[in-house]
Amino acid sequence: MSKFKKVPVSGGPPRRDILASLKMASIEISKPVLPAEIMSSILDHLGPIDLIRMARVSKKMQEMAYDDTRWVQVLKRIGCWNELEARRGAEKTTGPTLPEKAERYQSAHTVSGPDLDKSALSDRNGYLFDGFDPISLSMVKPSEGSTDPAQDKALMALNLVKSTRGQARQEYGKLHSVLAPFYEDIVDSGGSIDNLVFKVYGEPESQARILAQLQAFAKSDVTEGWVERRQRLNTAVSLFETAAIREFRNGYESDDIDDLMRRYAYVLWTLNGAGSALSLFIHHNHLVTRKSGFGNITDCIDQLTGVIKLQHTQAYLTRLGAAYNEEISIIDRAFPSKLKVISPFLSKIGKDILSPFFTALFDVLHRVNIESYLKAVSGTFVQCMAFMQDLRPTQSSGDDFYDTVTCVISEVYEQHIDFYLAEELDFFKKACDARVGDWDRQLSEQAASTESFLMSNVNRQADKNDFLSSFKKVLMMPVNILPNFASKPNPPKPGDGPAAGDTATAPKTTNRFLPEAPTNELSAKAAIMNSKLEGIHSLFSIEVALSLVHAAKTSLERAAEFVVLDGEYGVAAKHQCAAIFVALLNNLGHRHVIEGFDKAVDHLSNYRPREQRERDKSGVEPLVTFLELVNVGDLILQMVDVFYEQELVGSKLTDRNDFLDPAVKGKKRFEQMLDERVAAGLHKGIDVLMEEVDYILATKQPATDFNPEVSINPKRLTMDVNTSEAAIAVVDVVSSHTQMLIGSTDKSTLDVFNQEVGLRLFNALCKHLKRQRISVEGSLKLISDMNHYLKFIQALRNSELLLYFRSLQELAQIYLIDPSDAKELASIIADGDRFYGILRAEEVYEFAKRRADWHLVGRSVERAMYGIGCNVM
Amino acid sequence: MAVAQVQDQLTLTSSDGVDITVDRDIADRSLLIKNMLSDLGDPGEPIPIPNVNESVLKKVIEWCTHHRSDAPSTGEEDDNRRKTTDIDEWDQKFMQVDQEMLFEIILAANFLDIKALLDVGCKTVANMIKGKSPDEIRKTFNIQNDFTPEEEDQIRRENEWAEEYESPP
Repeated sequence: MSKFKKVPVSGGPPRRDILASLKMASIEISKPVLPAEIMSSILDHLGPIDLIRMARVSKKMQEMAYDDTRWVQVLKRIGCWNELEARRGAEKTTGPTLPEKAERYQSAHTVSGPDLDKSALSDRNGYLFDGFDPISLSMVKPSEGSTDPAQDKALMALNLVKSTRGQARQEYGKLHSVLAPFYEDIVDSGGSIDNLVFKVYGEPESQARILAQLQAFAKSDVTEGWVERRQRLNTAVSLFETAAIREFRNGYESDDIDDLMRRYAYVLWTLNGAGSALSLFIHHNHLVTRKSGFGNITDCIDQLTGVIKLQHTQAYLTRLGAAYNEEISIIDRAFPSKLKVISPFLSKIGKDILSPFFTALFDVLHRVNIESYLKAVSGTFVQCMAFMQDLRPTQSSGDDFYDTVTCVISEVYEQHIDFYLAEELDFFKKACDARVGDWDRQLSEQAASTESFLMSNVNRQADKNDFLSSFKKVLMMPVNILPNFASKPNPPKPGDGPAAGDTATAPKTTNRFLPEAPTNELSAKAAIMNSKLEGIHSLFSIEVALSLVHAAKTSLERAAEFVVLDGEYGVAAKHQCAAIFVALLNNLGHRHVIEGFDKAVDHLSNYRPREQRERDKSGVEPLVTFLELVNVGDLILQMVDVFYEQELVGSKLTDRNDFLDPAVKGKKRFEQMLDERVAAGLHKGIDVLMEEVDYILATKQPATDFNPEVSINPKRLTMDVNTSEAAIAVVDVVSSHTQMLIGSTDKSTLDVFNQEVGLRLFNALCKHLKRQRISVEGSLKLISDMNHYLKFIQALRNSELLLYFRSLQELAQIYLIDPSDAKELASIIADGDRFYGILRAEEVYEFAKRRADWHLVGRSVERAMYGIGCNVM
Repeated sequence: MAVAQVQDQLTLTSSDGVDITVDRDIADRSLLIKNMLSDLGDPGEPIPIPNVNESVLKKVIEWCTHHRSDAPSTGEEDDNRRKTTDIDEWDQKFMQVDQEMLFEIILAANFLDIKALLDVGCKTVANMIKGKSPDEIRKTFNIQNDFTPEEEDQIRRENEWAEEYESPP
């Protein structure tokens, strides 16, 4: 290896000739000659002039420099190459399947032969003239002033460019020869009024056109130093623009709309889309400068009360609308129809006129009067919507005009909405708080002075009917007319006695004082208890509920106005509506109704009938009042339901089926809690009722009822078969309460309640029976008692309960059996089927012991029973 | 261990057998080396750069060292932007070498696939061409004129728009 290396160094013998020549060759290759692809990328960095010079160097260079893609690229930069048109052209001349290479080949030939070139040109004239105008400038009519065809050609240079493959270099050449002189001039001497453009063309329209074309043309210049050149061009353009803007402004200020203003609007439109003219028009618009003339804030507020005067804001908007329409006619006359003037103009109005006005207005109102503020935000929003809907669109504005309008309004209200919605909710909550608190306070005041009032059932019933109809009326009424329910007296019912004029709305009215001062501690306690229970229905009131619902409706309607806004704010408004509803539920439901229920349940459980000295004939009073309470609660629930349906579902603020919706959830919870409270109350109520039943049985059932023999009354009737007084009283008490529930609670609750009452009654009777002594004679009365109970139970239509009382009826017969028939008695006792399986033999045996003559028959019965047992065995 | 070496240094061997040690991130400016290393892993021995000699390789490494923190660019858009930006001052000075060296650098950049350096080279050459007559260009690039006078005349006629502007003085 090392030997091999040495050989060439030492000169090299002839034998190594092959290697030596290779080495020579490699040396030659290593001499720097740039390969074609690098040459090509060098050409990428050359401007068009240098490219053409390059083409003149050699055939290879010519091929590279003439490469059509290179020139297409240039035209693309300028923005006047239309790929679609090029493809169509290519298909027509060469057929769609011909690959691009062939086109390039053809282009090379076209170049080399002038004849071909010409034919290609004429070809193009034939069918490619309908090409797209890649530049929007074509929309503008050429100015009337220029008559020179050469100048004309220059003015339309960019539009005349055709997108034909293989012709890109020629097309660029045309463009270059027209525009390059102006471009070079500006680049060399910088932007000034002495530029060639301004000398050649006198008309501002033409100048604008050339400048606009130059701006596009300059984009093809990407060789060293283009940034600076571009800047110079921009200087020239802005120079021209400033001058044009000045003229435009003069036109606007001197009201020379159709001539000066319109002319320069078109000039600027040609130059660069008239953005500057537009912003000038908008920023110096007469509307903005004269905005104080439309009205001021102080007019819109009542200085004494701080109440918003919506008719004044309406007047403000009307004046603004008139001025706006004037400006719109100017826009129509002055600006090119393509230019989108209306949306920036509208947002300017929103930002600089409406927004400051309303912001100031709202600020003042917020300081002075929150309610007025809330009204103002919602009210003016509606007015604005109406105002904007009435605005006249420009000739050019399309279907999206109303979208723009909505957009502008939401921008104006954007900054207020969140705050407003929060305030609205807050306001509502506070109002609720105040109302409920007020009620509580009144209640405690009343309790403190131990004033109580009682209303007859008739009157309350009337209230309810009256209330339901008036509630419907309220919902139908517009917000502004707030009916003052609190002061509206209920129509007096004839024949109601002194209580007729008093209603639940006047809790302070003293219906009656406690009969007399209590004489001992127990009676004092009872009296207090009594007054508490009498006031149970005043634990919550329909009137309060109604006023809360009404407040909610007002707030809700105001907030709901904003739902028309799309997107974020519409959603926020919807949420806020739901939140108001939830707040209503919280205040009305949880704080008012549920708390009332809790208190009522509490009172019920503290109620001890036996401590009550004066007993009411009508029944267990606390239960009566509680059932009334259930009625009222039910009514409120219905009211909330109606409210929910009409206000939230009806106006599409919430979806009934969306179980995740807070409003739906809140309502569900409220219903659930109400049900729970009713159930708890009923449970307590049954306890109380049963205590009452026990009490009646214990006090009203004399021992002689079922055992007349022991009576010392000489005048007693033999064989009294009438129902006992106690049984009648018990059935009266129980049935009066079960009937009270009918219609106020749903059937299933009612069934459960009845069943419970029945069972407890059954147990109470069994217990009672075991305390009695029953003679054969007395059993007749007992049987008639049992029949009486059974009749009552039959009315409840509960088959299970019926069985219980049937068995009780059967049971009564064991007392009828003559003492001599002990065996018979024993077989009845043992006959389980007789008692429908409800009473077992041992239980019946227990009852049998209560016979007055048990000490006589007991033994033989026992014997008979066990005897029977033996027989069976 | 391999990782440590990757982050450390590489050795390149020029065509004339000189070993040059460079930091890995500098060598990564060359897409050729970068791709090779990511494909094959670190060979652990000097990498031969067969058609770049020592002086040129050093020059290239000098450029890479100066531009070591440039963001690597591969996107098409980026490519376009790079083509239109002017050569920065340091690069201009860097390219002030004789024409032979300039061409060698361009070739090396092409071979090693260092796009930015290739662009700088091309731009420099383009600037050399700018404003020169075809004859001068031929002389610079050592190109034979293979046009007949008629052909030459025709090209001139075809591109009159460029012609009229050729003589500003």
